[in-house]
Amino acid sequence: MDINVRKRSEVQLIQLRGPLRMGPAVDGLRQAMEEVIGHGDYRIAINLAEVAMIDSSGIGLLVRFLASTKKQGGNIKLVQPSKFAIQTLKLVGVLNLFEIFEDDDAAVASFS
Amino acid sequence: MADEPGTGGSSGFSELLNLSLPATSESIATITDAISEILERLEIPEQKRFEIDLAVQEALANAVVHGCDGDPSKTITCKLNGDSHGRVVISVTDPGPGFRPEVIPDPKRTEGLYGDHGRGVYLIRQLMDEVQFERGGAEIKMWKY
Repeated sequence: MDINVRKRSEVQLIQLRGPLRMGPAVDGLRQAMEEVIGHGDYRIAINLAEVAMIDSSGIGLLVRFLASTKKQGGNIKLVQPSKFAIQTLKLVGVLNLFEIFEDDDAAVASFS
Repeated sequence: MADEPGTGGSSGFSELLNLSLPATSESIATITDAISEILERLEIPEQKRFEIDLAVQEALANAVVHGCDGDPSKTITCKLNGDSHGRVVISVTDPGPGFRPEVIPDPKRTEGLYGDHGRGVYLIRQLMDEVQFERGGAEIKMWKY
């Protein structure tokens, strides 16, 4: 999985490419999130446009960090989740925990 | 020949994959990639392929993490059987002691929503048409019609 992290207007934008599943993909995202949060950045947008699959370990990671950022007054918002990502999040009942945006700009703007 | 629950008998199923690999995340990727290729070759529709792929991913992850305790010296086995109608049955076996699937809590209950685990078996049951646990839970068989 490719993971690209950049900062825009005090929001950390994480762009993912590839399946988010147990192994290097989930480990890599966990490490990226821990680094972001370790720097005190709790406002995070994750672009899932190119993530065709999220497995239960990927979901677990997203909801765990969602809870921890919210405790710090932040949030994790999702950008352009793929059809199958939405289906999976909905199946396990966590889709409604996340705010979802059509593009990065809208997600970043929503934090202001 | 694949064992099959009540619907349709066992005739017509042939073995399309039989892999035994070390219990690692790399093996999961190897098996899921191989199954994806087979399903695509069988011209199984995209939605059905997605559901099978994710269910297999979850079953293999359970086998590696819980059945093998993440020990790469242990082995997981995955078999895929299919018929000419695009029906498939997949089994995943690990050497572990198994588990009791009936006691797994519902991950959609409010107190479980922010939990970081416990969704795999629930997802499998939602995605596949029939699911059976055998050998005390150390083997899962999943059917998609």
